[in-house]
Amino acid sequence: MIDAPALRVLIVDDEEPARQLLSELLAGEDDVELIGECRNGFEAVQSIQTLAPDLVLLDVQMPKLDGFEVLELLDSPPMVVFVTAYDEYAVRAFEVHAVDYLLKPVSGERLHAALERVRARIAAHETPVPATPLAREARPSGGFLERVLVRDGDKVHVVPVARVDYFEAQGDSVVLRVGTDKLRKATTLNDLERELDPGRFLRVHRSYILNLDRLAGLELYAKDSRVAILKDGTRLPVSRPGYSRLRGLL
Amino acid sequence: MLHPVLTDSRRLRAYLVAWLLPTALLLAVPLATYPPGWRSILLVVVPLAALYAFVCLAAWYPCQANPPGTPLTRVLTVQLVAAASATGVWLLAGRGWSTFVAHWWPGAAEAFSRMLPIFALAGVFLYLLAAAAAYLHLAAEAGRDAERQALEAQVAAREAELKALRAQMDPHFLFNALNSVSALVGTDPPGARRMCEQLAGFLRGSLELDRAERIPLSKEIALVHAFLQIERVRFGDRLKFVSEIDEAAATIEVPPLLLQPLVENALKHGIAHLVDGGTVTVQAKRRGGTVYLVVDNPIDPDRPPSRGLALGLENVRRRMQATYGERALVVVDSKPQRFRVELRIPLEGAPAVVAGDQIGVAPVRPEPQ
Repeated sequence: MIDAPALRVLIVDDEEPARQLLSELLAGEDDVELIGECRNGFEAVQSIQTLAPDLVLLDVQMPKLDGFEVLELLDSPPMVVFVTAYDEYAVRAFEVHAVDYLLKPVSGERLHAALERVRARIAAHETPVPATPLAREARPSGGFLERVLVRDGDKVHVVPVARVDYFEAQGDSVVLRVGTDKLRKATTLNDLERELDPGRFLRVHRSYILNLDRLAGLELYAKDSRVAILKDGTRLPVSRPGYSRLRGLL
Repeated sequence: MLHPVLTDSRRLRAYLVAWLLPTALLLAVPLATYPPGWRSILLVVVPLAALYAFVCLAAWYPCQANPPGTPLTRVLTVQLVAAASATGVWLLAGRGWSTFVAHWWPGAAEAFSRMLPIFALAGVFLYLLAAAAAYLHLAAEAGRDAERQALEAQVAAREAELKALRAQMDPHFLFNALNSVSALVGTDPPGARRMCEQLAGFLRGSLELDRAERIPLSKEIALVHAFLQIERVRFGDRLKFVSEIDEAAATIEVPPLLLQPLVENALKHGIAHLVDGGTVTVQAKRRGGTVYLVVDNPIDPDRPPSRGLALGLENVRRRMQATYGERALVVVDSKPQRFRVELRIPLEGAPAVVAGDQIGVAPVRPEPQ
């Protein structure tokens, strides 16, 4: 019988002792290859894309991007085992199809069991399910989107929604206008509209969601047709339903 | 209720001294009208007045049985009957006494007969006066009771509030610390042992503080230092801290775990979100009648302070006001890159905090950077 290839594992945790402990525990496991360690969410997104690990041991609370946000940014996420001191993320973790959920302090036995589950899944040829839409669904109800994550090649932008002037639909993606920058994100305007605070962001047009903070005035430019003037002078078209929504809000 | 005069020798003395006045009046009227009979008058009036002083003390009992709030007609009936009875008893005793003394001093019986109308009027009047005094006493007592009850209720409510608001250590801190210990056991056994000791020291300290209502600020700061030492193992070089403590401030008393949650927040909402970490500054200084406690930390501008943090600060504000009253302030200064909480504690009897400050969580005016 031919041995299965070694499991290639990436550790993602912002705390050095936590990484040390995991790597020490992994060293005691057979057929496991530690291929890297990351100290924050940005590094994790980059490393996962370049190293393509079989398994990521993923902390939840980290600088820049938390564990869930890391998964949201990946097109084809690897298998994930969350490692955290907090038990309240467990439900969310399984909603994004985590293989296991380990609590700190991490026990060697639990880690071993988690690795066994990963191997079983690989043997069954299960492929990890993309977490992107699920991570979004798992957002705690009542909370609105506060930050938009945009991946630009290897670079990740974290954009607080308050900094976005407007969102514009372009083909099958959405462009965020942030001051003088434009960032493209693979999503739809409808998805964004559902997640944004309706008191702060308004769909003024089929192709535009406007940050109401930026609105300076409205202008009638033809019968039944208006434009929104932004504080920086930008003009955006306002549709008839967009106008009635705007009036309802103001 | 016990008799307020008979059970208190100071009151009894005062009462007897007060009785000198009616005694003097009882003497003055017959002496003025019939000076030559002064010996008979003295012999009759002084013992009778003394006797009536004690009879009037009995006015307390019907008063107590019909306390303030009893229908007025009932009170009047009871008191008039009691006054008449007391006077009757007194006059009978007076008659007996004057007849008895008349064996040796014949003028006494006649003096008493002549003074009978005065005695009758005085008897009723003095008794009613005593009853009125008893009622005044009962009313004052009831007022004091109500006041004391209100005060007790207030104290109980405040204690309950403080108990409910009592800050609790975040238990995840422990899990993370134990995870670090577990890691150190493999790589740095002496470090693991040191951390166990620090952890035990911190836990013991916080249990001790938990039992106290108030502790010296210096103890709270020692606890905060122990906490930061432990967290430094976890965060490594990402966590730096500076502590500037005035000795004049370190002696004041604070509710336990007043600063610790603020420092915990500084790590959880500040340092933990920064790739390169930063410096947490803890300050305690005294300016005039106010002690300023400051926790200042850098934050990630992309992660504005969360709602959970605001709730935690509201808790701190309520504890401050429950402990120090309305003049205690929590001033939050939230900038894109820094977060700063300042607690202003007025010292007892000190002049008010700088005029114009608001009570509550208020944004401080922006300072030049």
